[in-house]
Amino acid sequence: MTIQTKLPEFKTDEMVINLGPQHPATHGVLRLILTLDGEVVKHTEPVLGHLHRAQEWQGQNRTWFQYQALIDRVDYLSGMFTSWALSRAAEVIDGTEVPRRAEFLRVLCAELNRISSHLLWLGTYLIDLGALYGFPFYPFIEREKILTFFEEISGQRMMYNYIRIGGVQRDPKAEWFKKVEEFTKDFPKRVDEWEAIVTENPIFLNRTKGIGVLTKEVAQAYGVTGPTLRASGIDFDLRRFKPYSVYPELKFDVPVYNKDGDTWDRYMARIQEMRQSIEIIKQVLDMIPEGEIMSKKQNAGLRIKAGEGFAAVESPRGILGCYITSNGSDKPYRFRWRNPSFSNLSVLPPLLEERPISDIMAIFGSLDIILPDVDR
Amino acid sequence: MKIDGTVVRGDHFSGNIAEIRKFAVMSLSWLTVIFVAVWGVCWALGIFIPMCLANSSFDFAAILSEVCKALTPIAAVLVFIPINAMFMVLMERRALALFTRRNGPNRVGPDGALQTAADAVKLLLKEDITPTGADALMFTLAPIIFFAPSIFGALPLLAAVTNNHKLFQIVDLPTGIFYVLAASSVPVVGIVMGGWASNNKYSLMGGLRSAAQAISYEIPLVLSLVTICLLAGTLDVVSIAYQQSGGLLNWNILGGGALIGLNKAIAALVSSSGAPFAEVMNAYYPYGWLSFVGAAVLCMCTVILFGVYLIGACAEINRIPFDLPEAESELVSGYNTEYSGIKFAIFFLAEFTNLFIVSTIAVVMFLGSGDCPLPTWLNPLSYPAVYEPLAKALSPVLSVLINDLHLINPPTFWAALWVIFKTYSLIFFAILVRGTLPRFRIDQLMDFGWKRLIPITLVIFVLVAFARGVINFHV
Repeated sequence: MTIQTKLPEFKTDEMVINLGPQHPATHGVLRLILTLDGEVVKHTEPVLGHLHRAQEWQGQNRTWFQYQALIDRVDYLSGMFTSWALSRAAEVIDGTEVPRRAEFLRVLCAELNRISSHLLWLGTYLIDLGALYGFPFYPFIEREKILTFFEEISGQRMMYNYIRIGGVQRDPKAEWFKKVEEFTKDFPKRVDEWEAIVTENPIFLNRTKGIGVLTKEVAQAYGVTGPTLRASGIDFDLRRFKPYSVYPELKFDVPVYNKDGDTWDRYMARIQEMRQSIEIIKQVLDMIPEGEIMSKKQNAGLRIKAGEGFAAVESPRGILGCYITSNGSDKPYRFRWRNPSFSNLSVLPPLLEERPISDIMAIFGSLDIILPDVDR
Repeated sequence: MKIDGTVVRGDHFSGNIAEIRKFAVMSLSWLTVIFVAVWGVCWALGIFIPMCLANSSFDFAAILSEVCKALTPIAAVLVFIPINAMFMVLMERRALALFTRRNGPNRVGPDGALQTAADAVKLLLKEDITPTGADALMFTLAPIIFFAPSIFGALPLLAAVTNNHKLFQIVDLPTGIFYVLAASSVPVVGIVMGGWASNNKYSLMGGLRSAAQAISYEIPLVLSLVTICLLAGTLDVVSIAYQQSGGLLNWNILGGGALIGLNKAIAALVSSSGAPFAEVMNAYYPYGWLSFVGAAVLCMCTVILFGVYLIGACAEINRIPFDLPEAESELVSGYNTEYSGIKFAIFFLAEFTNLFIVSTIAVVMFLGSGDCPLPTWLNPLSYPAVYEPLAKALSPVLSVLINDLHLINPPTFWAALWVIFKTYSLIFFAILVRGTLPRFRIDQLMDFGWKRLIPITLVIFVLVAFARGVINFHV
């Protein structure tokens, strides 16, 4: 009698699955071609370009004045920063002096915008982790207030077109500053509340601690910037490293995490950044001087001197740079954008390797990608 | 603080009171409608028609009245399940809106009370799509197999929640809870079938996840109920429910009957008649301090078992934080991605019915079924001095309804009222959990099931088996 000691060969196949572009959790139209072994990801191939709108080409075919209004769409969650990068690049070429009050207003609006962008990220990140119904709405309540502020000064809730070449569009009234001040007093308490629900939640810790570890070396190699980079332990913030506008006069910390660079660190980096932004806003409200807000005429005759220039700002997602060549006509000659989301997204395939399918969204969400910002 | 008329923090509390009031009014009116409708059908079918037939000289009158009586429980379930699911969906949406300071559906009907009725009509009118390459037979069978067990599984519970009303004693089932659990483990077959037959990779993954999850979490779920059965000494749901009558201290959640002695002793102390306190205590706890330790251990164990049951039940019916089979951010919609129209409606209906049934099982097995939480010696209505004048005052109004028409059956009425209250409280708790927690990852889910819950329940099973030896349960 023989006893079969060896099991028969058990053959498994890999499965190729399309995640997106019509998937409820890809934050837009990203397509990932995944090769799965069971539930484990073996290979990831991001497919870009579903939202390509030729923003750079459009810039070359529109006047300066028209393009200013269009550029908010590149990163629709932080429109202030795209307009700011464009304005700064143009001002560098032109040599325009921006009025001091306008610089303070720019910092104020940009920091408010940074908070609103992180708030939307916070809500949607919890949705990515499966807390679909409760928590995600709380950050949106606060974001609503910030959008109301923006609506009052620019007439828009998303595409502000507020920061213009040479200054800012409109001078807010005194009551507006009062409302913002009240908001800054109230907001840190709300952050404490959210942290009480989320930060130490065992399920949240299980889903984020030690997941998607992005080491310093990998982050540098891929050109990752913003909170994602700082969560990996590299102290690099343009506001500090290469200060622009009135940032040298303001006191604030740049939260850096030196430990793991996992998704939980990226979450904490953004939470701390919101707190620091509030500190900046408080100082700006104290220091803001009276005076002019615009040094260039805003009409179809807007011209920039011939020359080349590059300027970058620290957007909520990282370094947002704008390179312009001007020939002195009413249209820019060449345009090039450096978008943080693109380089941050490129780090996704190494992070997803050998992770289960449930971690895809936990890791992808923690990078805070805006798809129009990737594809332009 | 006010910004442009929007109510924000500070006014928050007063702002929510109005919404809470609307939610309460909506829930109470829906519950009234549901239970009046269900009891109306049961009464008409099981009592009124036989009563009319009894006076007629019609040949088959006797047979017809028997048939009507036999059909009553089935009619009750069939009327109850769709209306109840409609209400639960609405309640869930309104409650989640409350937690997140939104308004929720409030357009269709008064304060949005008819929203889910409109949704149901919409779903029924939708095109029924079978995807290309799908196994049409399996694809159609899956929702039915998913839904059917919730109907026949619920039947033995009917008698337990209505204080053993004679209309609802369909069958004398000595292994009641066993049958209920067996029925509740069938739906997973439907999920796997639906996932597999859909010809969609996401559905397939959802179906397989569901199979893994159901197998892992059924064990702690059953072990926790088995331990309760060990304490009760029976598998019959009706007698388990009956054993727990007499107030909070007799319920299975507090020691599974270990505190019955304490309850009786205090009752003896309060009434100052009958056996003295010490004597009763000695009869129930014969080994002195050892018995007290045993009772304390049992109380702790049963509370933990209740928690284990709730967790296992959440996993069994795929609710957050265990909704992996339909994880929206990973698998689009999991096993029901390809379903539309009536088939999707049946999946949806069954999910909420399952939630209701697991809550009912928890109420019957742990929370004393239709029992008032006040101990008898604390309940004013149990004293003749309070009860008799009240009964006398109400008797001219109610005696017609109670004695002549049998429209109201007081024991059943009170039992049903408490069961409704307890069951919907548990459902509300499940909604609260859904509004708070993120989702587990599949391997963490397995770890939690196999490495935590199952060992805990096994240890408790052994502990209970020893601890019950030092206490006399039903003297």
